[in-house]
Amino acid sequence: MGDLTHVTVDFSRSHLIFPEVIGSILAVLALAILIRDHRRIAGCGRYWAGILGEMDKMRFLGTLVLTLVYFWAMEPVGYQFPNLGFGFLFCSIPYVFAIGVLYLHHRTARTVLPVAVMALVAPTLTWWLFTDVFLLTLP
Amino acid sequence: MDLLSIVTPLFLGLIVAGTVIGIVFGAVPGMTATMAVAVCLPLTYSLGLNNGLALLLGLYVGGISGGLVPAILLGIPGTPSSITTCFDGYPMCLKGEGEAALRLGIISSLVGGLISLLVLYLFAPPLANFAIEFSYVEKFLIILFALTVMAALSSDMLIGIFSGFLGILVSLVGTYSVDVGGNGEYRLIPPGMENILDSGFSLLPVLIGLFGLAAILDDAERGIPEGQKASDVKVGKSSAFSFSMFAGQTVNLIRSSLIGTFVGILPGVGGSAASILAYSNAKTFSRHPETFGKGEPAGIIASESGNNGLTGGALVPLLSLGIPGDSTTALLIGAFALQGVQVGPLFIGNNPATWNAMIVAMLIANLVMFAVMYLAIRHVARIVTVPKQILFPIILMMCVVGAYTINYGIMFDVWTLLIFGVFGWLAIKLRLEIAPFVIGFILGPNAEVYFVKSLESFGDLTIFFTKSWIAVVLWVLIIGSVAGSIFLSRRNAAREAAAARQDPTVT
Repeated sequence: MGDLTHVTVDFSRSHLIFPEVIGSILAVLALAILIRDHRRIAGCGRYWAGILGEMDKMRFLGTLVLTLVYFWAMEPVGYQFPNLGFGFLFCSIPYVFAIGVLYLHHRTARTVLPVAVMALVAPTLTWWLFTDVFLLTLP
Repeated sequence: MDLLSIVTPLFLGLIVAGTVIGIVFGAVPGMTATMAVAVCLPLTYSLGLNNGLALLLGLYVGGISGGLVPAILLGIPGTPSSITTCFDGYPMCLKGEGEAALRLGIISSLVGGLISLLVLYLFAPPLANFAIEFSYVEKFLIILFALTVMAALSSDMLIGIFSGFLGILVSLVGTYSVDVGGNGEYRLIPPGMENILDSGFSLLPVLIGLFGLAAILDDAERGIPEGQKASDVKVGKSSAFSFSMFAGQTVNLIRSSLIGTFVGILPGVGGSAASILAYSNAKTFSRHPETFGKGEPAGIIASESGNNGLTGGALVPLLSLGIPGDSTTALLIGAFALQGVQVGPLFIGNNPATWNAMIVAMLIANLVMFAVMYLAIRHVARIVTVPKQILFPIILMMCVVGAYTINYGIMFDVWTLLIFGVFGWLAIKLRLEIAPFVIGFILGPNAEVYFVKSLESFGDLTIFFTKSWIAVVLWVLIIGSVAGSIFLSRRNAAREAAAARQDPTVT
C-alpha cells in the first residue's frame, strides 16, 4: 500500500504534474457526461440549428465583426499618434456609434441623434479621464 | 477604528456614486452587479485600495438591490438574484400596489444587507485566525471543498464539476512560475504563443469577457429586446404602503437574511440560490402558503432580504480564506490584485485599515441604497426605461479600457477579453456553469502550488487524508456535499417522474 501511494516529484517535470492530474479528471468527467447525455449530445445538431435559426444574425454577427475591426484597428491608428491614446479615441467614436445604431429597433433621425451624441461624449470623456486624470496609457 | 480617517469626502462620494450606478445596472434587465463591478474596475487604478473598494462595494450592494425594480414593476428580474421577487412583486404591482411592493423590497434589502454585514464583521476575523494554521494540504482541500460545494449546488452537478476543473486547466496555461517555487517551464501553450502567454491569461480580461462581453453577445443574439416605455411602468398608489405590512414578518425577515448570508458564505453560489432558498422557506413556514405567487408581501420580504444577505456573506470566505463567495466577489480579487494586496487568512490582520474601510463602506452603501431607492422611488422606477442602445456600446468600450489598462497596455489582454467573451456565450449555450469555471480559474494556480508542494514535502498521497483532523473534516465535508447533491438530484428526478406519470401531458 505504501508503495502504491508513494510519489517522487521530479523537479524538472513538476510543471506537468498538476495539468496531467486535472486533464485526467476532465477526461473522466467528459466520459461520464458523454455516457449520461449521449442522446442529447447526438441531437446537438438540431439544438444548434435552432439557436442559429432563432438568432438575430445581424445584431449578433454585427457585434462580433465590429468588435473585431475595433480591436484590430486600435493599435495601428494609435501608432500614428504615439502615447496620446488617440487610437482608442478615434476608433471608439465610430465603434460606439455603429453598435448603438445596430442595436436600435427604429432608426430615425430622432432615435439616432442621442446615439450620435453619446458616441461623441462617452469615448471623449473616458479618454480624458484615463489619459489626463488617471495618467494611464490607452492605445 | 478612527471613523473620520476612513470616511473622507472622496470615500463617501465614491460609495454614493457606486451605489447609484449599481442600482442602474441592477435595474436594467440583462445587466448585473457583476457586470457593473467588471466595467468599473479600471476606475479603481488611481483611487487606491480603500477608495477603490468603496466604489466597488457600492456597485455590489446597489447592483444586487436594483434588481427588485424591474422584478416588481415589469415581472422581469433585473438580476438573477431577484427572480423570486417577481413571483409576488409583479402580482402586487398589477393590483396597483407597485409602490408598496417596492418599499417592502427596499426595506427588506436593507435589513438583509445589515444582518449579513454583522455576520461578516463577527465571523470573518475568527475564521481567518483559524485558517492561518492551515498547511498546504488543508489549503488544497479547502479549494477542493469550494469546488465541490459549488458544483453540488449547480443545476447539474457533473457539468458543474467539469466546469470548475476546466477553469483550473485554463488557469494553468503559461509558466509554472519560479516565484511560487515552480521550475519556470512552459505548459499548455500552443506553439508560437510562448511570448504572449508566458504568464497565462490575465484574470481581469477573462472576467470582463465572461461577465461583460458574453452577456451583451447573449442579448445581441436575442436581438437586443426593446426596452420599456415610460407608459409601461406603473408604480401605483403611494398610500398602499404601511410599515404594518411587516407585522408578523420579523422571523421571516431575519431567517431569510441569515439564509442569504449562509448561501453567500458557500463559495461560488450566487444570489439566485439565496433568494430561492429564502423564498421556499418562507412559503414552507407560512400559515398561508397558498397566497404565495399571488402578491404575498412575505414573498418579497424573503426574496429581497435573502439576496441582499448574500452581500456580506460572500465576503466572509474571500477575506478569511481567499476564496470568493460569488462571481462579484471574484472580481473584487482583481481589485486587490491591482493594488498588490493578496487576500487570504493574513489579510485582515495585516490590513486592519482596509478591513475597517470595507465594513464602513458596506454599511454606508446599504444606507445610501436605502435612502436613494426609498426616497426617490418614482425616479428609480424610471431606470428600467434606460435604452440599451445607449448603455451597451459604452459598456463594450469600458470593457476594452479595463482589459487594456489592467497590465499597463498589453493588446493581447484585449484579445483575451474577446476570446473569453465568445467562450462565455458558447458556455451559456453548452450549459456549462460559469461560476465554477471562474472560481476554478481563480484558485487553480494556488491549488497547483498547494498540491505539488505537499507531494514534494511528504512524498505520499495519503498525506491528504492523514495530515490533521482538519483534513479529515474537510474530506467528510467534500464527500458529504457530493453525496448530498446526488441524493437531491435523484429525489428531484423521482419527483419529476412521478409528476409525469400522474399527468402524461407534462414532459
